Amino acid sequence: MTLKELTKIIEYYGTQSDCWPEVDRGAALNLIATDSDAKQMRSQYMQLEALLDQHQVPEFPNLESRILNQNLPARRKALLDKLLDWLLPATSAKLLWRPVLVACMPLLFGVVVGNFFNFGVNIEYIETAEYWEDELYLLSLNDYPESQF
Amino acid sequence: MTDEELMLAIGNRDESAFHIVVRTHQNSLSHYVFRILGNQKDTEDITQETFLRLWKNAEKWQPAKSKLTTWLHRIAHNLCIDHVRKKSNAETEELDDSSATGSELNTALEQSNDLKRLSIAMGSLHENQKNALVLCHYQGFSNKEAAKIMGISVKAVESSMARAKRSLRKLLISSEAHNNKSNKAQL
Repeated sequence: MTLKELTKIIEYYGTQSDCWPEVDRGAALNLIATDSDAKQMRSQYMQLEALLDQHQVPEFPNLESRILNQNLPARRKALLDKLLDWLLPATSAKLLWRPVLVACMPLLFGVVVGNFFNFGVNIEYIETAEYWEDELYLLSLNDYPESQF
Repeated sequence: MTDEELMLAIGNRDESAFHIVVRTHQNSLSHYVFRILGNQKDTEDITQETFLRLWKNAEKWQPAKSKLTTWLHRIAHNLCIDHVRKKSNAETEELDDSSATGSELNTALEQSNDLKRLSIAMGSLHENQKNALVLCHYQGFSNKEAAKIMGISVKAVESSMARAKRSLRKLLISSEAHNNKSNKAQL
């Protein structure tokens, strides 16, 4: 390992060896033990970290109460979310009738609509057609020669 | 209660769950925001706004993607970035006189002690450098988590942090040299 590589490791992961990548740790520690420049460089970064740790943040004594006492807005849910919440409630299995009801809706709708609209299907025509089929069937049973028609 | 349970409860407008989350994360978030903005009033505003966003968007948190603390820091990070940019736009005229600002910084650095120097130098770091340093050194996030919070690659975080540390180390070395010089002069 070179000094440049060790510098990168320290800059990326800090001076504590247990934070370094395992694959490089042994070689890095070995370099520090044998190279005075590496040792000095690490010591400078250790000084810097110690100085950074001294940099304190002031207390915010009223911040917690300010956040907790603020008026929290009522969160508006989208219509689709509301519908899905009603349809698939996460709380109780007793409300299982809701998805069942929704699943039956197309069937009920079909029955109701089917009662009121014929969608172009002429029932009288069907009856007439059935009538003529019967007539032809009866005629076919008679044993008249063709010349009589 | 786990974070998932707390967030589910907040999604169902449970204020007591919200209070627990605020008490758990308020210190860490306010410290982060203060280290980025360096201003007590702005820190309080941004921290409050972060928790308000948590209340409004609790259901958007995806536990599989990030820890709650990472998600909260990301919200705070974005708010800080917006705040800094708005502020810098408003102060464009003052920033035009950048040579004066630079010389003021140098004078301040020469006249102050190590800790004050460090504080001034940190204030002069680039936005990404400062964020990477604060998230990894002070907030204890890994480089990967810091990258998620900042919305950049891990390589970019490492490079930003290396640059920040390098410039602060230079400052420390020059400070030592300055101290040695003044000690010799006194002798």
